[in-house]
Amino acid sequence: MILRMIRGALFRQKSKMLLIAVTIALGASLATGMLNVMYDVGDKVNQELKAYGANITVKPKDSSLLQDIYNVQGEDNTALQTSYLREDELPKIKNIFWAFNIVEFSPFLESSVTLPDGGNVKLVGTWFNHYLLADSGEEFYAGVKNLRSWWDVTAGEWLDEAAGNTENGVMAGAALAEKEGWQPGDTVTLQGAAGSQQAVIAGIFDAGGDEDEYLFGSLDLSQALSGRDNCVASIEVSAITTPDNDLARRAAQARNPRLALGADYDIWYCTAYVGAICYQIQEAIGNSTASAVRQVAESEGNILNKTELLMILITGLSLVGAALGISNLVTASVMERAQEIGLLKAIGAHDGPITATVMAEILITALVGSVAGYFIGFGFAQLIGQSVFGSAIEMKAQVIPIVAALIALVTIAGSLPAIRMVLRLRPAEVLHGGH
Amino acid sequence: MTKRRMFLRMITASLLRRRSRMLIALLSIAVGATILSGLVTIYYDVPRQMGAQFRKYGANMLLMPGDGEVLTADKAEAALSLIPEESVLGATPYRYVRLDMALNQQSFTAAGTDFEQVQETSPYFGVEGRYPVPGQREVLVGKEVAQSLNLRLNRQIDLTYQLAAAEGDAAKDWVPGASLSGAAISEFNNQPVFIQATLDEQGNIASLTVDASTQTDIGQQCEQESYTRQFIGKALPLSDADVDTLTGATMTSQAVREALNTARQEGQALSAEEYTKTFTVVGILQTGGEEETYLFLSQEDLEAVTREAGRLDVVELSVTGDAEQLDEYVKAISESGLGVTARLVKRVTKSEASVLTKLQSLVFLVTAVVLILTMICVSTTMMAVVSERRREIGLRKALGASDGSIRAEFLGEGMFLGLLGGVLGAILGFVFAQVVSVNVFGSSILFQWLLLPITVAVCMLIAALSCLLPIKRAIAIDPALVLKGE
Repeated sequence: MILRMIRGALFRQKSKMLLIAVTIALGASLATGMLNVMYDVGDKVNQELKAYGANITVKPKDSSLLQDIYNVQGEDNTALQTSYLREDELPKIKNIFWAFNIVEFSPFLESSVTLPDGGNVKLVGTWFNHYLLADSGEEFYAGVKNLRSWWDVTAGEWLDEAAGNTENGVMAGAALAEKEGWQPGDTVTLQGAAGSQQAVIAGIFDAGGDEDEYLFGSLDLSQALSGRDNCVASIEVSAITTPDNDLARRAAQARNPRLALGADYDIWYCTAYVGAICYQIQEAIGNSTASAVRQVAESEGNILNKTELLMILITGLSLVGAALGISNLVTASVMERAQEIGLLKAIGAHDGPITATVMAEILITALVGSVAGYFIGFGFAQLIGQSVFGSAIEMKAQVIPIVAALIALVTIAGSLPAIRMVLRLRPAEVLHGGH
Repeated sequence: MTKRRMFLRMITASLLRRRSRMLIALLSIAVGATILSGLVTIYYDVPRQMGAQFRKYGANMLLMPGDGEVLTADKAEAALSLIPEESVLGATPYRYVRLDMALNQQSFTAAGTDFEQVQETSPYFGVEGRYPVPGQREVLVGKEVAQSLNLRLNRQIDLTYQLAAAEGDAAKDWVPGASLSGAAISEFNNQPVFIQATLDEQGNIASLTVDASTQTDIGQQCEQESYTRQFIGKALPLSDADVDTLTGATMTSQAVREALNTARQEGQALSAEEYTKTFTVVGILQTGGEEETYLFLSQEDLEAVTREAGRLDVVELSVTGDAEQLDEYVKAISESGLGVTARLVKRVTKSEASVLTKLQSLVFLVTAVVLILTMICVSTTMMAVVSERRREIGLRKALGASDGSIRAEFLGEGMFLGLLGGVLGAILGFVFAQVVSVNVFGSSILFQWLLLPITVAVCMLIAALSCLLPIKRAIAIDPALVLKGE
């Protein structure tokens, strides 16, 4: 009998129940959408912040100081550097524990070359868009094309391994090109310490910094001209990291994290702190020291935290809004049925079954509404993800129980007190229509 | 009783009598208004607040000397005045020189700067220990330098300035503010005369003080400004002819000339001790960048070592503003004729612009979605509340009320609720935005006064619109049917 009553109510009062279902669907979609966006916004913003370039630099263990110190005046001091990283070890970077968090990297080898007019220029050998296949089977393109996202190629085009123009092509900084009067397509002879080679200016870039004075060519070119086969002077790595907390700071101060952290070592190692990723790169690349570029790493953590907190608060507000909206409507709809409930009471129904019937009706409506709302909300999340970040928002499983609990709680909280209030009224009064 | 008063009475009476239901409607409108005013306030404030966060990436503009010019503190100040003061978060002067460390005779790049400003333009500097205090002969050492020399906090190190003598023409090394000091014996009484002078950009004398206390009468007059003034603008070395034109004690003048010429000749060859100062390591700097290979001194201390004043190599600025504004500032400074060029740090400005745009559109979309959904929620609630009153409408119609008057009354009631809820919500929304701003960004928010009338208007409109449909339906039905309860 109860079942029949419920079914009857659901179908007879179609438009009213539809209104409740629509409102619950809207509330649920709001909650779903916002929660999904909130959980994913960290990753998305982190990706965007990669525009600031590398947050980790890797250098050979001991020689870094010498070269940096003596190279300030721009003379050829490359000879001072005595130890190098090995080019054949580079793919190992994509095999560390946090390999998937490494979004960009590129090796660098500076050498000094002499131009036909006698001028000395710094030639930076690097990768541009180099194809790699990691052990995990992930296909990866490494190089400065993505790492230097702020470069403007003002004339000509990017060097690109895939396009095959890196073999004897070079890119010139805007300031250098202007000084030498170079145009894309010009050929220059580069004389290095260990040989000379003809190179074609493929493109001219504006980097807005020191790099405007340099030539960029393939790693092979720089190695060949300076006679340093298989050598890499430094690697810049751009990794997605977790903002530092106390544990990360403790690890950063320790010389040997394994000893200093003790039981916490595993937690630290398996969290994407910038320090942990540096540590793993050092393990992977022989004779290397990896350090965080604080300018990027610190600010990134800061902006990430702020964005996440902002989203949490906005999500909180919209959840409260959705909850109040739903419970309001449910309360209103129960009150609207005062007559029906009064009638039931008048013909002898007990409070218990009446409450159960009305609640069941509303809960079934809520279920239908929230299932629909979940999918609509997911659509909203995707809309935001695609239009803002140009990529899909990941569907987080933990959103489902949160939304379900929220809707159930709000529906019950909105209807139960109302039902009890209506039940308290005297049937005669309700039926008569007076209040 | 006039018609209008009756109308008002009907509205208020109905609101009061049906308290619980009207409270529901009011609450839902207030929630909608809270979300509207709160989110829109945040949306307008996010670019400003986030922009400030992005400034933590460090300087986004550099002031550098123009071609063949020298950057001085005065010029930098003049250039800085072209940018609105409130937009400049920090301006850090830098002077780079090479200093020898007596410890191992290695030479390092040392930067003379203003540490208070450093903390504004380079907030990412990680200092173990503390920043040096100007004038206290304290030094902040880059981590790599510290590691390679095994320097610890509180170590004393001797720093020596070597004039870049190797670069050829000595005159080139004279920089504005470079100072000379020296002494020469006056033939008048075989007593020394002491001089102290500073040079201008061309290497000419910019100021001169003479200590002729060992001389008598006429010789002592050489200390007076009327005498020393004659030297201003003269090029070194001074010839005999220069002295002949001077008025004043001849023998003392010869001594002054000799002292100046000797000081100029031997200026660079001044004994190492005079360009050596002892510093205490008070901090070790960690940045992950090339700053780790530098030494950082306060400007005052560096000038004490190099014996020059007011010369800068670069000024790092942290300026708020979007790409267009920054370009305008750069143009204004470069065209000012001050001999100062401004450059944007593209890596910072370009990345900032791209990320900030994304964040802004994120907040915009989120705000839009939340607003639309909330407004629909508000109107469904209003609809439910109004459609409940079909019987009342029927009864009125049966008693002879016109459709127009019924519609007017319900709309009036709805809009009244919208007004109340809107005002309440606008205030709550501002409180919410304030809480968000203080918690997230640690600063208070600017209240957009225009938002108050807009919120109220939107709420009244939504309330009125959502009343319309159910009223229309109730009016269209035969009163008898409605009253019967179908």
